Amino acid sequence: MVYMMYCLLFGLVVGLAAVASNPSPYFAALGLVLVAGMGCGVLVGHGGSFLSLILFLIYLGGMLVVFAYSAALAAEPYPEGWGSWPVLGLAVGYLVGVGVAAGMVMGGWYQESWMVCDEFGEFSMLRGDISGVAMMYSSGGGLLITGAWVLLLTLFVVLELTRGMGRGALRAV
Amino acid sequence: MNPYILATLLFGLGLGTTITFASSHWLFAWMGLEINTLAIIPLMAQSHHPRAVEATTKYFLAQATAAAMLLFASISNAWLSGQWDIHQMSHPLPTTLITLALALKIGLAPLHTWMPEVLQGLDLTTGLILSTWQKLAPFCLLLQVQPANATLLLVLGITSTLVGGWGGLNQTQLRKILAYSSIAHLGWMILVLQFSPSLTFLTLLVYFIMTFSLFISFKISNATNINTLATSWAKAPALTSIIPLILLSLGGLPPLTGFLPKWLILQELTKQDLAPLATVAALSALLSLFFYLRLSYAMTLTMTPNNLTATLPWRLPSLQTTLPLAIASSATICLLPLAPATAALFTW
Repeated sequence: MVYMMYCLLFGLVVGLAAVASNPSPYFAALGLVLVAGMGCGVLVGHGGSFLSLILFLIYLGGMLVVFAYSAALAAEPYPEGWGSWPVLGLAVGYLVGVGVAAGMVMGGWYQESWMVCDEFGEFSMLRGDISGVAMMYSSGGGLLITGAWVLLLTLFVVLELTRGMGRGALRAV
Repeated sequence: MNPYILATLLFGLGLGTTITFASSHWLFAWMGLEINTLAIIPLMAQSHHPRAVEATTKYFLAQATAAAMLLFASISNAWLSGQWDIHQMSHPLPTTLITLALALKIGLAPLHTWMPEVLQGLDLTTGLILSTWQKLAPFCLLLQVQPANATLLLVLGITSTLVGGWGGLNQTQLRKILAYSSIAHLGWMILVLQFSPSLTFLTLLVYFIMTFSLFISFKISNATNINTLATSWAKAPALTSIIPLILLSLGGLPPLTGFLPKWLILQELTKQDLAPLATVAALSALLSLFFYLRLSYAMTLTMTPNNLTATLPWRLPSLQTTLPLAIASSATICLLPLAPATAALFTW
């Protein structure tokens, strides 16, 4: 299990380096998918199974559609991945940076930063993430309504930005 | 734009600022800022002109970076200190990060570069919303956060006043000059923020009144560069004789309102034993004064007895509402005698 977690966390960092190293949009989107997948794996490993399911299905599902369309709009004949030197240099630079930072704070940070969500699970009725959802629907109702309104507003914003075929803000050139 | 959509977006603008004002929780404050950004974006891009779309993209990228930084800082704060309250920031790291994120949001000097570019791509009304209403929510947060390090805010403030003066010197485009003037004024507000928050608030409101009158007058004379200003006396002679006073008020000359915040800020800085800083700030106001003076020169001192600097436009009756401009410009010009009352009103 510990070995598995190491692999997932390593994949998370590599995926972040893949996004940040400024490759073509296809590969950046791929890196983001990798990050989200690995992050969901880490969450499952620490007892947030429901949370990671929601993240993976809804967030990643929605984002993938957006990524597919934007990659189609910004299609390039010669996409640049880690095969090209500037991108590879940036990626290696970021990975070395993460290594140095981890080496500097080694031993001091991970005890508090990675904790299992429910200790003594046998004694509690609900998992932490499920009870969080219940809280969100009961005492967090106002926040939920505001959040839903903001999502609706976002829909209008996106529609208003992309309306008008040829003269809209988003178009294939 | 469809009026229903316009109403929804304006409601979104109001809702975002209100949520940030009313929140004591970092997540909600962040959410209000995001609603604000979201709602202004279609308003900025509504002309679908490539320049407007470019400006919108730049604005969105800068604001999204700032909001992500703010969220990261508040999550770090929750992790380090175990609470989300705005008033109980104790750890220096998230406090500094939040100050920098808000500085990026309102465009303070080392992080100001998006501001002139964005303002240049917009029409004057949207630019006015961007440089007044959109500053309110970040400012409200900035007033509530107790800075961990006194030097940080002082450096941000003095750099902003200097950059705001220097950057505007070589511009011929009015909207860029307005952006640099905004940066310089924000610098003054940030300079005095940790010594007297009520003075910062007073400066912000006075700046809003002054910049409102300037934006609306430019809108009425339909001017976006200095050349057009030179013929504006043919369009609205009375307004043209008022505009130099508004400009000099923004520059902070004594018998006008703009002198009031600068005067009180210099006094407060001197009281705090920061006389060198106050001197540098006062000198940087001279840089700003130069470009305000150049605008007034182009507008009024090149009138009929001299040679005309541009072709005259046809005189058509203006259909724009002038009442708000009348109120704002009288406040811009003659509020200085009320200085003690105004200062007392903002002391809490």
